[in-house]
Amino acid sequence: MNPTTSFLTTTMRDQRPILISLAAVAGAMLIGLLLVAALGVSIPAAVAGFAEGAWGSPYALAASINRSLVFALVGLGFVLADRANLTNVGGEGQIAVGAIAATAVCLHGGVAELPAGLGFVLPMLAACIVGGVWGGIVGVLKVKVGTNEVISSLMLSFIGVWLLYGSVQSVALLRQPMTSSSTLPESLEIPDATKLPLLTGDAGMPLHVGLPLALVLAVVVAVLLHRTVFGLRLRAVGLNALAARKAGIAIAPSVVGVFFAAGALGGLAGSMMLQGEQYSLKAGFSSGYGFDGLVVGLLARGSVLGVLAGAVLFGFIRSGGINMEMVANVPSSLVQVIQGVIIVALAGSARWMTRSGGAR
Amino acid sequence: MEMAKSPLLELQGLGKRFGALQVLDDVSLTLQAGEVHCLLGENGAGKSTLCNLIFGVHAPDAGAMRLSGQPYRPTRPADALEHGIAMVHQHFSLVPDVSVVDNLLLGQSRGLLRRAECAARMRELGARYGMSLDPFARISDLSVGERQRVEIVKCLMREPRLLVLDEPTAVLLPEEIQALLQVCEKVAAQGCGVVLVTHKLAEIRRVARRATVLRGGRIAARSEAPARDLDLLVRAMIQRDLVDPNETVPAAPVRTGPATGEEVPAPALMVDGLTVRDAQGMTRLDKFTVLLAPGEIVGVAGVEGNGQVELAGVLSGLMPATEGRFFASGNELTGQSPKAITAAGVGIVPEDRHASGCVSAMSVAENMLLNRLADYRRWGLLDRAALRRDAQELMRTYDVRAAGPDAAFSGLSGGNQQKAVLARELTTPGLRFLMAAQPTRGLDVGAVEAVYGHIVGACQRGAGVLLISSELDELLKVAHRIIVLYRGRIMGQCEAHASQRERIGAWMAGHTQ
Repeated sequence: MNPTTSFLTTTMRDQRPILISLAAVAGAMLIGLLLVAALGVSIPAAVAGFAEGAWGSPYALAASINRSLVFALVGLGFVLADRANLTNVGGEGQIAVGAIAATAVCLHGGVAELPAGLGFVLPMLAACIVGGVWGGIVGVLKVKVGTNEVISSLMLSFIGVWLLYGSVQSVALLRQPMTSSSTLPESLEIPDATKLPLLTGDAGMPLHVGLPLALVLAVVVAVLLHRTVFGLRLRAVGLNALAARKAGIAIAPSVVGVFFAAGALGGLAGSMMLQGEQYSLKAGFSSGYGFDGLVVGLLARGSVLGVLAGAVLFGFIRSGGINMEMVANVPSSLVQVIQGVIIVALAGSARWMTRSGGAR
Repeated sequence: MEMAKSPLLELQGLGKRFGALQVLDDVSLTLQAGEVHCLLGENGAGKSTLCNLIFGVHAPDAGAMRLSGQPYRPTRPADALEHGIAMVHQHFSLVPDVSVVDNLLLGQSRGLLRRAECAARMRELGARYGMSLDPFARISDLSVGERQRVEIVKCLMREPRLLVLDEPTAVLLPEEIQALLQVCEKVAAQGCGVVLVTHKLAEIRRVARRATVLRGGRIAARSEAPARDLDLLVRAMIQRDLVDPNETVPAAPVRTGPATGEEVPAPALMVDGLTVRDAQGMTRLDKFTVLLAPGEIVGVAGVEGNGQVELAGVLSGLMPATEGRFFASGNELTGQSPKAITAAGVGIVPEDRHASGCVSAMSVAENMLLNRLADYRRWGLLDRAALRRDAQELMRTYDVRAAGPDAAFSGLSGGNQQKAVLARELTTPGLRFLMAAQPTRGLDVGAVEAVYGHIVGACQRGAGVLLISSELDELLKVAHRIIVLYRGRIMGQCEAHASQRERIGAWMAGHTQ
């Protein structure tokens, strides 16, 4: 078959899941609006508040996109491990340890004086490595003692989050030296040279270099999964580990490697949150981004494009929701409810997506 | 004149297509009550699909079915059951960790479980059809033959009008096959129709009242007297005369050891005192020792469960040996990874294809080249075109029939899957030794011949072959030498010659004499 036509037919076949997903999201939004009305809030006010927070200003737009980047990176890590039939629910902890590493390098690594952008690159690199090791532990446990990766990655998440909490409690660690009862437990702000450069050069629209980087990584992950021997081997390992082993595929390095990669993506997400957005480490830093990212990966059902779409959706919903709470007095718990409805609707509609290829 | 009674089952012009593959095309067939109707055909001829249409697993794309003259359009197996049609599938559907009665009650009970009643009914059926079964035995403790009996009892409990058996004898021992055929005859004698899918000619001769041959999804022949028309049926099945296997498979030269003066080549396989004890400390394989010259085929005979699985497991690197060592072409491979074992030129055709031989959810091409994926790397990327091209070539050479290299492996018939696995293992780079465990299980006559041909071909190219099989005829035909395993020990070994049959049989049963 001619590759162009095969690509075309695949694309056409791929359209159906997209339409179904859009319908599911629209349906969930509708339910959300009904709930808003039930709370006695005027729907136009709520929608206006949401829109303003999600894309109402250049600043809001950039903030939404920056949130999406974090979801996208964690989601990519999830999809990568999922290819080998492994479930990485450790995004939250990987973000946390990545952010700790990045903060440490930014503040105490002496990188601020380095030339050629190394000031912001090295902390990111450190976050990747530490996040990767954090994820790699899950892989090693799985391979060496057979620990279920869902349990170990989830537990390591809690450890990571509390390590972050602990690290900003003491001045011997990362807490800012000037403390009083009024200052929150948080680190110093990182030096300007370690902050991610803005694409526009305008602080009114704080889009940073993380955006192109995440897009490149998405392409890399897609190629890795679909176009490399490594991706095919991961798939074989996931579908039938014994047959894969018999065929000479080394299982242990694949499992550890894929968890390292997933962890590194999570760590990178943590460093982007720090260096591109929050600029200091504080308790509650990761605030559930890792878990939302996991949901993004889960809903994408193995598709990198799906991860990007889900990440954008969740990023904008989160931004819009925060503003809706502030402006229209819609409780943020409602945003969580809407998010939950979207998840259920998308997961539930998977049934029709897989059937689209025709009965077999 | 009185109208003839309408037949039990009538199929009229049934057609079924899976994707690009027309699996069944214009298949018509009638079946009377009280007859055993044998359905023959090579692997992939559409027999299983036809059974699945009758049982409502799939719906036909064309044609119609009538049951006792009434239109019959099942949309799911429950419809078929309601109409009195029961089916025993190739793969069993039993819950392994519970008892036989509980399995029988699974699909039939509401409210309280009436175990005693069910057990009594089971015993009664057992007595009627000559099948003994302990109702309270756990499924996981039963042999394959006994499990199948459970499946059959499960069907018979519903008092079916029509019983469909999809290749029931593929997994059975000779005595078990005889018992099963007896059951078929008795069931038919009670007025039930029986559809029996099989490859084995002896079975057709024994039980078939009528027979239909499928080839490429179409009816290739019918016979009202299968026992008489056997030759015709076989020809229709494979569309050529079945050649005497002794001609295609050259008779084994009697080995008297390598000529003196020549340099002695390293043995293809040297196994020294291989012992496997399981977690309970039971000895599963006891000091297995063998020396295999290049170009030699050694058969390992024995009733299943006498150490063959352990032997194959250790040689393929998936199971650790408790004691002993083994070498292929002089390289020690004891305790090595499967990867290292493959790299040493060892091909392995595992007994359980689905467990370790293939990844059914991947494509045919991916499966056929699974152990060589690294060769398809171009600038770091996977060269799919080359993978597809080479797989196509292999598919042609080894006659693997599928819609194409991208077809799902799970869509292939059992025989074609086996040929694909064999193709992969036989083309292992630098093949010096091939281990094949039950390579012809469940395959039809034509495919069995092809598998023999490929194995003999490998041996002629200088590879040593260890052929583990529970089919003695197969070993006598192909192997040079036969080793008999009993309770993990080598009971005896001899030249593979028909005159040794009785001795071998005695060893298999554990008699030393």
